[in-house]
Amino acid sequence: MSLRGRNHSTNMSVETASFLIVRLGASCMALPADGVRGVLTKDETGDEQAMTAAGNVYPSIDLAQRLLLIADLSGPDMRTVLYSNGHSHGAVRVTQVVGLADVERKDCFPLPLQFQCDERNWFAGMLLYQDQLVLILNPSWALGGVAAAALVSVAQPEQIFLATSAAVGGPC
Amino acid sequence: MLRAAHGQQQAQVTKRSWNMLFFSVGGIKLAARTEDVGGISPWVPSIPVPSRTPFVQAMLKRDNLVMPVYDLATRLNCQPLGEPLLCLTARHLDGPMAICIDAEVPTLETVDAAAIRQTGRGDIETLGSITIGGNDVAIVALQRLGQIRQDVARH
Repeated sequence: MSLRGRNHSTNMSVETASFLIVRLGASCMALPADGVRGVLTKDETGDEQAMTAAGNVYPSIDLAQRLLLIADLSGPDMRTVLYSNGHSHGAVRVTQVVGLADVERKDCFPLPLQFQCDERNWFAGMLLYQDQLVLILNPSWALGGVAAAALVSVAQPEQIFLATSAAVGGPC
Repeated sequence: MLRAAHGQQQAQVTKRSWNMLFFSVGGIKLAARTEDVGGISPWVPSIPVPSRTPFVQAMLKRDNLVMPVYDLATRLNCQPLGEPLLCLTARHLDGPMAICIDAEVPTLETVDAAAIRQTGRGDIETLGSITIGGNDVAIVALQRLGQIRQDVARH
């Protein structure tokens, strides 16, 4: 058997993480997809504040207010994301659901160290999706919990030197 | 022995002069050590990031390079002037950082170290100041910009 005939790519294991990419106002954000329990349209949610699905209550979470963002949540693309991290649940309204994406771990980056305040708890890191900068939400914070380990593991800040040519595509 | 003496001599020569970059933000003349500057490029629209860190509330993306933006103009209570605006990449201790500066093209100059006074503006991190054309010009400490807590100026 010749080596030339082997397809090396099929044997390569690439560690990826799945995210639901959403838009909230002008910001693009990502939620780890394993916590998504459903995406509902405006017609499906009506005016209810808390949603119930599969026996679980999902209290409404005003993420835009918590992030001090201006977001129009009255448009036709508005969706309610039912989210759970296993012990906490929440219904998060977003301006738009952009899509699901499998992102290689190496394409996830920590927030630069210059961001020093609460935002370090809000976001687990960031990634590039379709050439856009996307902030990875910390689900524990988003669901109202105290600072906890984010579901997404990103590298320690000192391991990354963001603004170099090796930053995107480099080890994470 | 001779080599060590030569090294000391060189260090003394280096300390005698500073290579400086002169630029302006909102018409305010500022200076920075050239070694603290990563480059000057055209400004591109920044991406807002929800943040409570004073003056760090956006990111700049150019191709595959992503870096935080330091809003020096807001800190100095002014607006960058001219078109097209420029981006100064600061070699900050925490990593590269983008600063929007005036459209006026920065200039390079070698300054006698003796002309640098150790007093600077109290409102931003400086390495001192220098008099240029009768005006005091602050030498911005780009490496540690943002380290003085600006509680009063918090947004």
